[in-house]
Amino acid sequence: MAQVTPMTPVAVALGSNRVIRGWGIVYPTGDSDLPPNEERDLRRRIVQQALDALTTEGRTEV
Amino acid sequence: MALALALHPVKDMVVGVETALDGTTLQVGLEELRRHVLEDRRLESVDLEVVNPGDSCRVGYVFDIIEPRAKEPGTGSDFPGIFGPIANAGQGTTHVLKGAAVTVVDGGQPGGEHGHVTRRGGMTKILEMSGPASEASPYSTMCHLVMVPHAYSNVERHSVLNALRLASVKAAVYLGKAGVGQPPASTDVLDLEGPHINGRQGLPRVAYIGQVHGHQHGTDSDEHIVYGANTRGMLPVPLHPNEWLDGAVVISYSWGARGLETFYHQNHPIILELYRMHRAGDLTFTGCIATVASDLQQELSRNSMLAANLAKWGLGADGAIVTKYAGGAPHTEMFETARWCEQLGVKTAILVSDTAPDRRAESAALMQIPGVDAIVNLSEGADVAWPAQPVSRVIAGNGDVAATLASAEILRSGDVCGVVNNQGASSLQSIVY
Amino acid sequence: MRVVHYINQFFGGIGGEERADSPLEVRPGPVGPGRLLDQLLGEESHVVSTIVCGDNLAAENLDDVAVAAISEVKASGADLFVAGPCFQAGRYGTAAGAVCAAVKEKLGIPAITAMSVENPGADLYRASVYIIDSGDDVSRMQPTLAAMVRLGKKLSAGEKVGRPSEEGYLPQGALKSEFVEKSAASRLADMLLAKMRGESFEAEVPIQATEPVPVPPAVTDLSQATVALVTDGGLVPKGNPHQFPLAFSRVWGAYSFAGEEALAPDDYEVSHGGYDNRHVEQDPHRLVPVDTLRELEKHGAIGKLHEEFLSTTGNGNPLANSRRIGREMAKRLKDSGVDTVVLTST
Repeated sequence: MAQVTPMTPVAVALGSNRVIRGWGIVYPTGDSDLPPNEERDLRRRIVQQALDALTTEGRTEV
Repeated sequence: MALALALHPVKDMVVGVETALDGTTLQVGLEELRRHVLEDRRLESVDLEVVNPGDSCRVGYVFDIIEPRAKEPGTGSDFPGIFGPIANAGQGTTHVLKGAAVTVVDGGQPGGEHGHVTRRGGMTKILEMSGPASEASPYSTMCHLVMVPHAYSNVERHSVLNALRLASVKAAVYLGKAGVGQPPASTDVLDLEGPHINGRQGLPRVAYIGQVHGHQHGTDSDEHIVYGANTRGMLPVPLHPNEWLDGAVVISYSWGARGLETFYHQNHPIILELYRMHRAGDLTFTGCIATVASDLQQELSRNSMLAANLAKWGLGADGAIVTKYAGGAPHTEMFETARWCEQLGVKTAILVSDTAPDRRAESAALMQIPGVDAIVNLSEGADVAWPAQPVSRVIAGNGDVAATLASAEILRSGDVCGVVNNQGASSLQSIVY
Repeated sequence: MRVVHYINQFFGGIGGEERADSPLEVRPGPVGPGRLLDQLLGEESHVVSTIVCGDNLAAENLDDVAVAAISEVKASGADLFVAGPCFQAGRYGTAAGAVCAAVKEKLGIPAITAMSVENPGADLYRASVYIIDSGDDVSRMQPTLAAMVRLGKKLSAGEKVGRPSEEGYLPQGALKSEFVEKSAASRLADMLLAKMRGESFEAEVPIQATEPVPVPPAVTDLSQATVALVTDGGLVPKGNPHQFPLAFSRVWGAYSFAGEEALAPDDYEVSHGGYDNRHVEQDPHRLVPVDTLRELEKHGAIGKLHEEFLSTTGNGNPLANSRRIGREMAKRLKDSGVDTVVLTST
């Protein structure tokens, strides 16, 4: 499991092993201030980071 | 910076034609105040009532509680950036009606959106003036002008909240002016040089870092928090303790009433305690930093780091008290700020609030960070409640709320203003057994 | 007061490690440290009998030892059960904790033991039994027994038990709200000054270490893997079928989007009181990125997107409850053949 969260310190403190920085508390995989195409790109980047973490051995915190 | 608080004790509040302070009795000219408040064209009407200690009365839902204060003319601006023009708060003379309060009730539909009572301005907090629950709240010993502004139905919710904010400070200043021209019973001069103070070698140098909002609930564009700013994107900012106490800061709307009232910005328990210890020669109080908890991960890290840097390099502190706004994001940011402080050699003490519904310690502490080990545990009182006694008077924002308050059977500590306080006034502690 | 005392073969004078399999025996009156315990109990109270048991035997037969202890306590009409002190001895501490817990539960009389905080019995039984912190130094026998007697008398008399630091027991992890003399502001300032001066201070929250979670191995081939989306941000189908509350949720749901390319905003809502939900309600992918994973599925970057997302409301939840929800979700995912998970948290 990879966890996407803006509150990475909490995830790490509670033992999550693959932690990806989410964009914001109100939108971990988005940003309503961005135009739709840029927001989709942002989401692709975050999801890709999560998948990269899942295919990498050991702990991740990015 | 020196601020003279001209203290006028108030022991009784009565209705009259004109507003005037006679000894310790504050007479309030309700009609004049009503005209004043209704100058705001968004408001259709306003209910005004006087409530004194011991009255069998329950009020809700509370938007904010403010101490009536007014600047001595020519010495500054009242609630600068929020009510008066921008000016440096915290200097000159401020008249304080000690023992009086303006209590503002949300006359709109608190928590109307989706019925979410935790959203924008919709907390179910009450003022309880009699019975067992009232004994746990300092507000029950004060004389309240209770105000329920009603906005026209076509006014947007954010604008209704803005109107409530303006009405609240307007009324506080209006009442405070009754002290102007009257000899105060006593004067408290708050005088603090700041970080560059000399001649106190060897004393611990302490700063206060306090969050004034948590952006996990956002802010509205017309919301006033620090000198009128809505604090979106705000970087940590140094404030002289006097500015904090003298109207530069009011509470935000969301979570606004839960454990936070503007009254305890004006009488900030931590700032006043550090002032007291500074005067007693226990420490040197070097200043305050106002910050916000961000909803964005980048901003959260940035703000935490910058607040710590300011404490260390701006205020020259080697110790800091760090406190949070209500909620989980503020909790995280407080811990991060303390972590940065400790890395810089600024020792910290922090204030967590325990809401664990299962009353187990493992559920209370979200984070463990080496060095962040001085932790005070405020209880939000999930296990403290009182039987609600019948009251002869209910003052409520609308009929639904009135019915709810009149038939209440249990009052939970978190719902009674003044019992649970995230600004440090509360003496309800969560203890691990 | 009548007291039954439990000790191991070493304190019972039978022998050391070579006698650790000695069978359980009951002796009348106090034995070994029980003599000091008897003295400390005063005139009115006595150790009426002592259970002595080998450490290995006890560790391997915890239930039988508990049953024997219960029958002895019952037969002797005891109103307090004391085990140890066990200091650092792990098998002894575990047995003492287990027997105390059983006696307390079955007979409803108070039971007390003592050991060091590092003793494995401490973590196992501190929540259910009063464990006096003995430290690991056996020369602290006298003060440890004295603390056990003080607390034991209070428990027997039904008096209010003080805080762990006052009574000397290991915190049991129960939170109680109390009005105290000093405000939070004043306690903060006092604690900070003590810390700055290098004086001792006591945090009001236990400093607890969460156990590290083993890191699962990496996914070797994503293009063959089934990926599932899980969130604690409270996304639910319109109408909130499982009635998630705004906080402290005890429930979770699995919601199918089979055949859908994306999540339609009109079909979903959020039940979570901890953040401004408007952004996610405008576009659920800001929390559950089905659209992106569908793309990746189409391009073959992942084998398959699991056709349902799992959701709960993570807001102020008790840890024990969160663990249960996590276990239940993991089981559901395993049973559905899911290989790996992206969890989004607010």
